[in-house]
Amino acid sequence: MINTKNISKTYPSGRGVVNALCNVSFSTPKGATLAIAGKSGSGKTTLLNCLGGLEQPDTGEINCFGIDIHALSKKQLSHFQRQHMGFVFQFGNLLSFLTVEENIAFPLMLNKVLNKKEIKKRISSLLEKVGLSELSSVLPNELSGGEMQRIAFARAISHSPKMLIADEPTANLDTETANKLVQLMFSLAKEENCSIILSTHDQDLIKLADQAIYLFDGRDATNG
Amino acid sequence: MLFWVKTAALFLIRSKRTSVVLTLMVISAVSCLIFLSSLAMGVNDAMIRNSVGLFSGHISGYNIPSNISNKDLSVKGVANVLKRVQLPGFIHVKNKMEMITLIGIDPAQELKSSAFWKKTIKGRFIQEGTNELFISESLSKRLGAVCGDIISFSQQARLEHGFLKKEFVVVGIYKTGISQLDTGISFCDIGTLENKQSVWDAAIFLQDGVDIDMILQEYRNKNLDHNNFKTWKQLMPDLEQLISLNYFSMTIVIIVVFIIVSLGITSAFSIFILKSIREYGIMKVMGMTSKETVFLLCWEVFLLNIVASALGIIVGVLVVLIFQTIGIDLSAYTSHNQYFIVSGVVYPRLTIYSVWLPPLSALLFSLPAAIWPAIMVSRKNAAQILRGA
Ligand SMILES: Nc1ncnc2c1ncn2[C@@H]1O[C@H](COP(=O)(O)OP(=O)(O)O)[C@@H](O)[C@H]1O
Ligand SMILES: [Mg+2]
Repeated sequence: MINTKNISKTYPSGRGVVNALCNVSFSTPKGATLAIAGKSGSGKTTLLNCLGGLEQPDTGEINCFGIDIHALSKKQLSHFQRQHMGFVFQFGNLLSFLTVEENIAFPLMLNKVLNKKEIKKRISSLLEKVGLSELSSVLPNELSGGEMQRIAFARAISHSPKMLIADEPTANLDTETANKLVQLMFSLAKEENCSIILSTHDQDLIKLADQAIYLFDGRDATNG
Repeated sequence: MLFWVKTAALFLIRSKRTSVVLTLMVISAVSCLIFLSSLAMGVNDAMIRNSVGLFSGHISGYNIPSNISNKDLSVKGVANVLKRVQLPGFIHVKNKMEMITLIGIDPAQELKSSAFWKKTIKGRFIQEGTNELFISESLSKRLGAVCGDIISFSQQARLEHGFLKKEFVVVGIYKTGISQLDTGISFCDIGTLENKQSVWDAAIFLQDGVDIDMILQEYRNKNLDHNNFKTWKQLMPDLEQLISLNYFSMTIVIIVVFIIVSLGITSAFSIFILKSIREYGIMKVMGMTSKETVFLLCWEVFLLNIVASALGIIVGVLVVLIFQTIGIDLSAYTSHNQYFIVSGVVYPRLTIYSVWLPPLSALLFSLPAAIWPAIMVSRKNAAQILRGA
């Protein structure tokens, strides 16, 4: 269960402050898919960053699977992220100096749970699931945008996290590729029992999710 | 741990261009300094070689009793022992007279080991078994004597019968530029004087790289009076100081160069890391801690340095070996210098000091170069990095 209560966040800016988030509350059960919708600048990234522990909200609570993540120390947060969280961003997700399989192995190596053989097995099964088995030893700069996002997704779930945060993963893709990617993400996440919180401004994609929140100028406008 | 080393290595290998630039920087610094410090060693060697090689040898023996032969002094590590005897007296030619010390030498052995005979400016060096005389330019001027002149030597100021009186032919005139050698002495074959002397002097030449104190210890073991022997360090404290000074300035040069190189590495590395800051942001988001960030960056610098230093050593050593066989002629800068009296050719020499100090400093000074970018990366908020700020 992921629970947020009244999170607000402001940024200082040239003309006073920007209310990036204003009293946003929601909760989503484990394994569910949640879409955050809203125009550009509505606060989607800010919300996801707060959820992933990358940014601190000014007020409010965020509780991920029983843990108040903003009460953790820096080191504890890093360990929580490496064990229980996965991230996919709009672009530039992959480490350019590692091959596809080395990228996918990175979270597994950080967590030191699986041995070499198990890691190999996990990578090949993930590559098969995202349909890119033949690209295992390719460097990221040789991949297309859609392939990159599928690999980024495979990496984000390789260590079987409890939650996946995806900030507009389809923003740079054409509609068809975007649709396929989100369908793949949602079905695999269900398989792995991983919660997905995904932001997008694409109406079609929102319909694929179990739950949706609409943000407007940092406020929850779902019922408005 | 191994994972971070591997990641660091992959980072370096796959960021080829930047790694190559940084590597070249370290290679050139390391190899240049290996060459420079080997050159400094070579200059030191040349000064010692010139100073001891001219006349006195590495060790000078004085008043050695005649029951000790030069074979007794030829212990292991000694290249040659030159026997010389002194006889003070007076030289007469025409109506002029000068007080001198006549030095009896073995011409063949002198040709082999010492070098003052190379300073002949007129005529030639004396030969064995003759009554030839080798005099300095200043003496020849004062006596008005030239090659071919007959000169008388006696131990008394007045030429009276009954005292030793010997006649010599001047065959050569020399000038070394060192006053002890250029005034008050002349050389003749030892055979003409030897039987009159109860003590003799030795010029002991050592083989290359032999520790002078070991030879002295050997003499002590043989119950030779150590007061009879003086090393070049005792006879030329100024030269010893000059050599220490050379070491000192070389060390400072190495340290200064590496402070500069490490500043270069720091800034190049910072640019390197700023360029790929998004990747560090991504790793951070995946749960890499600050400690691991520092660890990874230190490994990157460390590996780069190890490889670059190894290559730098190879390049530096090769360059030194080439110049070691050719020699570097510095005569233009040394011709008026008493420490380069015989030859201004310098042969760079590798030592432990010249091979290991440069790469060691490269490592020592460039590790801090990783710290500043590491702090920069771990301080920066991942959200900021990923938003592209
Ligand atoms: N670091 C920042 N400094 C100042 N303003 C910011 C910063 N980050 C975001 N904002 C502002 O906060 C608001 C929400 O931004 P964001 O969460 O990125 O929206 P979205 O992801 O929906 O486009 C925007 O008005 C944006 O300009
Ligand atoms: Mg955004």
